[in-house]
Amino acid sequence: MKKTIRVLIAKPGLDGHDRGALVVSQALRDYGMEVIYTGLRQTPEQIAAAAVQEDVDAIGLSCLSGAHNELFPEVMRLLHEKGADDIIVVGGGVIPWEDIPFLESKGIQKVFTPGTPTIETAKFIEQAVYKRDGITEVVFSGVAPERIDHIGIAVKSLDEALPFYVNVLGLTLEAIEEVPSQKVKVAFIKIGETRLELLEALTSESPVAQFIEKRGQGVHHVALGVTNIQDRIDEMKANGIKMIHDAAVPGAGGASVAFMHPSSTHKVLFELCEKTKSKEEAK
Amino acid sequence: MDKQQRIKEWQEKTARSMNRFPERKERFHTSSDIEIDRLYGTEDEHYPMESLGLPGEYPYTRGSQSTMYRARFWTMRQYAGFGSAEETNKRFRYLLDQGQTGLSVAFDLPTQIGYDSDHSMSRGEVGKVGVAIDSIEDMEALLKDIPLDKVSTSMTINAPASVLLAMYIAVAEKQGVAPEKLSGTIQNDILKEYIARGTYIFPPKPSMRLITDIFGYCQEFVPKWNTISISGYHIREAGANAAQELAFTIANGLAYVDAAIEAGLHIDDFAPRLAFFFNAHNQFFEEVAKFRAARRMWAKLMKEHYGAKNPKSWQLRFHTQTGGSTLTAQQPDNNIVRVTTQALSAVLGGTQSLHTNSRDEALALPTEDSARIALRTQQILAHETGVADTVDPLAGSYYVEHLTDELERRANEYIEKIKQMGGAVAAVEQGYMQREIHHTSYETQKKIESGQEIIVGMNKFSIENEAQPELLRVDPTLGEKQKEKLQALKVKRDQNRVSAQLESLRNAAKGDDNLMPIIVECVKSYCTIGEICGVLREEFGEYTGV
Repeated sequence: MKKTIRVLIAKPGLDGHDRGALVVSQALRDYGMEVIYTGLRQTPEQIAAAAVQEDVDAIGLSCLSGAHNELFPEVMRLLHEKGADDIIVVGGGVIPWEDIPFLESKGIQKVFTPGTPTIETAKFIEQAVYKRDGITEVVFSGVAPERIDHIGIAVKSLDEALPFYVNVLGLTLEAIEEVPSQKVKVAFIKIGETRLELLEALTSESPVAQFIEKRGQGVHHVALGVTNIQDRIDEMKANGIKMIHDAAVPGAGGASVAFMHPSSTHKVLFELCEKTKSKEEAK
Repeated sequence: MDKQQRIKEWQEKTARSMNRFPERKERFHTSSDIEIDRLYGTEDEHYPMESLGLPGEYPYTRGSQSTMYRARFWTMRQYAGFGSAEETNKRFRYLLDQGQTGLSVAFDLPTQIGYDSDHSMSRGEVGKVGVAIDSIEDMEALLKDIPLDKVSTSMTINAPASVLLAMYIAVAEKQGVAPEKLSGTIQNDILKEYIARGTYIFPPKPSMRLITDIFGYCQEFVPKWNTISISGYHIREAGANAAQELAFTIANGLAYVDAAIEAGLHIDDFAPRLAFFFNAHNQFFEEVAKFRAARRMWAKLMKEHYGAKNPKSWQLRFHTQTGGSTLTAQQPDNNIVRVTTQALSAVLGGTQSLHTNSRDEALALPTEDSARIALRTQQILAHETGVADTVDPLAGSYYVEHLTDELERRANEYIEKIKQMGGAVAAVEQGYMQREIHHTSYETQKKIESGQEIIVGMNKFSIENEAQPELLRVDPTLGEKQKEKLQALKVKRDQNRVSAQLESLRNAAKGDDNLMPIIVECVKSYCTIGEICGVLREEFGEYTGV
């Protein structure tokens, strides 16, 4: 999920049946949403006020007493009055099918009848919120990254760092090359199926120089080996992931690379990295 | 006592009681003309007399009466009520005409929570899940032309149970029926409201006082009334499993017994009027075992722990309703089948009365057609299947006896835990039972969603584009009509008398006199339920949840 969706689960009226409300609350939490449950016997006024105060994205109204035709539209009217029309409102409970068109005409986006799997409710709320916020639907092509292509490690000086890797650890230095697009000099060290990539800044404007200045030497990024890199970049963007590179740029070893912004990836700098066969062989 | 001797005495006792309560037939037999005995198993030299006892005898595992349904079927009692008192009265008379043998009143939520129909909290709720009752006028309309000395009435009312019982007594008096002739039940079980059903008003302590006041009052003036129906039904509906339903219900029952003893009542004076209310769900044998285990557990507790001497104090008598939460909105006619097997488990478990749910209850209140099919389901079980022709037919099944023992063991573990927490009231206040139930209900939901548990027509064998059944609609203008009626009442009644009665109620609530006689006077003076509960709200405070 790209943003943490906040949901208010509310019991309007006098109905005391809260099994459904409690189950849906927990299911939405397990799905990754933040859920506030009002408890029983809430007036429409209390529900609208809580929704605004808690700044929720969505409200789930649960009613099994037959009072829905009166109470649900009243919640909608009060939200409108408070200028909170953008809150997505859904409902559930014992609600006759013939009442659903009326409730929808009052702005309830969806009524979930008994037997609805909770995952369906979670997905509906998620997509309605994304749609409202202009986030395109989650799309996943079905192709996951294939491997860790390499792990990038920022060093002050290749000359100082390399003896540790080569002489002490006994790993094999594969190549050293300069990557002008990143203003870095890199050393590839092979380890099993993957590589360590030591990065030394060429100039003080290099991202690696800035990284070292801010955080010191250390692990810098993880590169995910992919194919059809441009499709993957588009897919990430469609899913709301902020990209540092909207299009692939040339990386070391003849690869095409694009970095994702750590703010979208839980603070890890990931690089998408595609190496064509011919380039691999050429190396 | 020697086993043979005990059986002989039981036979003699049964023969004597049959002089007063003869069996339905001279001779019971199967289609192949095999004679059906009253009781099987006692001829076995290994018959477990201690754990099973004999029907109508301690510990009542095999039933609370010696001849059970051979003498009289269970009471077929369909819970009904919607809209106005007049409309519900019509439905009651229809059900009685159709062969129903007892009434069961559903009240709307404002009534159940002590609000008048014109209160702002009542918006949208008037007449929806039951009948709207504001004053004794509505109660008179509800019970019009129903002979209260002949029909027993069960009222699903809890926090304001005193008020509705007072109205019932007052209406009967107007009909010329004395209180000691009235029979029926009030649910009056507040603990399960905090746990599972949600129609509480006051905090636990004053709520327990109202309950013990009713015990004391009825013992003296309405001796045939069941003063409480200790309910596992709603605990199960909230998501508990069978063992939890059994355990929490009995734990609540013990809390009421303790409260009554503390209020100075003697166990054998009130315990015979305690009734129970259980759910019947889908797991057939487990449900049968649950009912049998409940009887045995209660008997042991009353006799051994509380030292009750009167056998009536040991007997757990119960009403059963089939499981509302097992009904599906999809392919609602399938629910008739679910209700049938659930009802059968209640009959094989020895229920005293039974409500069978209607097929359309996952969608709305039942239509008249659906309610009739539900009643017919019981009638078919009673009259066509022969399951009522011998007592406790599943006794001695290795499986059923094992389940009975195991449910008792598991429930006792819970009860011990609750005891250590300080009893059911303390456990409720700490949210213990609520959490246990929620945990089970969420696990069940996950099993259903993963397909590990199959619900036919819902997560398997479903069909696209189902036809939508006809549903019952409650008059949407009822709220307004009820408000007008209330306004009219307030104009014509003696306002000074109303104020004086409410004031004496307030004073009594501050002290510890029994509140029932004053509440009876209040309703006779046309005080409304909202006014009476309003005064008590001011004096007792309101419960706001855990």
